[in-house]
Amino acid sequence: MKPGAIQMENVSLAYRLYHDRAVTLRDTMLNLFNRSTKMELFTALEGVTFSVEPGEALAVIGANGAGKSTTLKLLAGIYEPSSGITETGGRIASLLDLGVGFHPDLTGEENLMLNGSLIGLNRNAMKNLIPEIAEFAELTRFMDTPVKYYSDGMFMRLGFSLATAVDPDILLIDEVLAVGDARFQEKCYERIWDFRKNGKTIIFVSHDMNAVAKLCTRAIWLNDGRIQMDGEVEAVLSGYLEGVRKKHDVATVSPKEWGTREVWFDSVTLRNVSGTPARIFRKGEKIIVDAVIKTHLPGTVDGVVSGFSLHRPDGETIIGTNNLEMNEPLLSFNESTEISIEIMLDVEEPGSYILGLALTDPLARKDYHWLEFFYPITLLDARIDPPLRLSNVTWKQC
Amino acid sequence: MTDWNISRLRLLMESLVSKDLKVRYKRSVLGFGWFLLKPLFSMIVYYFAFTRILRFGGAIPHFSLFLLTGLLPWNFFSSSLSATTSSLLDNHRLIRSIHFPRMCLPVAEVLANLIHLLLALVVLEAVLIIFGHTPGLSIILLIPAILLFTVMTIGAGMLLSIGNVFYRDVKQFVEVLLLAWFYASPIIYPLDSIGVQIIESPGLLQILRFNPVAGFMEIMHSILYTGTWPAAWCWISLSAWSVVFLILGSVVFRKAEPVVVKEL
Repeated sequence: MKPGAIQMENVSLAYRLYHDRAVTLRDTMLNLFNRSTKMELFTALEGVTFSVEPGEALAVIGANGAGKSTTLKLLAGIYEPSSGITETGGRIASLLDLGVGFHPDLTGEENLMLNGSLIGLNRNAMKNLIPEIAEFAELTRFMDTPVKYYSDGMFMRLGFSLATAVDPDILLIDEVLAVGDARFQEKCYERIWDFRKNGKTIIFVSHDMNAVAKLCTRAIWLNDGRIQMDGEVEAVLSGYLEGVRKKHDVATVSPKEWGTREVWFDSVTLRNVSGTPARIFRKGEKIIVDAVIKTHLPGTVDGVVSGFSLHRPDGETIIGTNNLEMNEPLLSFNESTEISIEIMLDVEEPGSYILGLALTDPLARKDYHWLEFFYPITLLDARIDPPLRLSNVTWKQC
Repeated sequence: MTDWNISRLRLLMESLVSKDLKVRYKRSVLGFGWFLLKPLFSMIVYYFAFTRILRFGGAIPHFSLFLLTGLLPWNFFSSSLSATTSSLLDNHRLIRSIHFPRMCLPVAEVLANLIHLLLALVVLEAVLIIFGHTPGLSIILLIPAILLFTVMTIGAGMLLSIGNVFYRDVKQFVEVLLLAWFYASPIIYPLDSIGVQIIESPGLLQILRFNPVAGFMEIMHSILYTGTWPAAWCWISLSAWSVVFLILGSVVFRKAEPVVVKEL
């Protein structure tokens, strides 16, 4: 296997799930006579197949219990698959839990020396790395303090610095980046970015869709232990968010349509500037609504107000405005007219939103056509550009 | 998966053992001295109990020295078993977040205790020489005997560490077992190694020889206390039990390991 490559083939993993777990011998003896203890096989992953090329940054997303962490543990070699094959190439650094090998009574430096071997660093390498690790963790002054006197943040910082001190081919990250304060988190992301720039493979499990969108190019959506979707991060994220929305919000907000239909939206397309139909928009990207509007009134209908609104998934209205309010020209329609609304948003809180559209007359006596809660969209943070650079390439004739 | 070659494994073992030793004597005034003081204190207790109260110790010259030749190896054995029993459970977070050969955990516990045993034996040997128990040529057998006994302890430790993950009773059971095992082993009394007959019934003597640690204890008495060659049955018993425990321990450990990781 090439360093940094990952291959999972038809991998399944089952846990034994105890409903009335016998933890002592006595319970077991009792259970022999009274076979009521339910032991169930819980399938955490089923038939999962995917492969990752060296240098890819893959996000694994999904609801709690969908099998994300199990996937990471399989890749880290902690679990063995119940069936199927897991293969990884090269050295792996796993950030599944930070500072796990640390002993509270030992000082920071002692802990580093003793735990280096767990991640494959020998004593000399460790000795040379300690100042660097301590500096990154901002704990240089505390290296001779037993780690039990560290705050949680300090402890995690030291754990993070140690775990990322090796030069891995594959980096496995499980939601551990809630390390320390915001500033240190920024630093952690920077370091992870460095790994990406240097062409390391990254597998990232997170519920933070923003972080996922920022860091990864590809995503896998796990649902009940199976791959629901595998593809470009935008597509998978929107699929996932849409899925979550459908599951939870349908009860509170569902699309509503009403009006006199003297003038109506015949077709509506949401697209980005490059003309591709889209439902995901990054910070700084224009949302363009192309609509074909028809009327069966004779002649031209003048002075039509065209409005739009943006809501949270639960229906809370955030923006609602129209061309009258914004001092834009009112619209005139004949039998079939095409319009485009270009919306530019300052996204403060990325996430899922719902767009609504409306056509009314200027005195608001008549609702021609309302499409409320009609178009779910996802707003993401800006993309970091370029997400990767070519550091070297050679061609060889063999 | 990261591969674990021999040098990485050695490094990990060294780290685990030195961590164990460091942690044990943190914030303790006497520190490393305890590896000598502990057997010394128990020696004093047993000495008074068995020469002043029960009096059979009087039949053995330098009874306190005789006691030490058995107590040191027993301390190694019992501390090792107590420590290995909880070794997997205590490290569950580590096991569930980093991939490494988990067998290293119980093995490291035994090796840390072995270091104590070896140091204590050096001191004991000096004392023995001072009191006229000069070792014979048989002392060359000390190292192979300790090696075999260590193997046996590791095997038993692996079994217990796995057992304790499935049933927490194992830890309690080990405590009780060790208490009974102590009196069933030739530590405070000899079987036939030093020419003093304490056990009179030949039937009982035969039964006591089946004890897995009896062979090693008698070897220690012979080599250290009397300076004679250990009896053949001791070697047969020690080797046989070592092989049995090692095979049983490692097979069970390997089989149970993938399950244990998920159970922890």
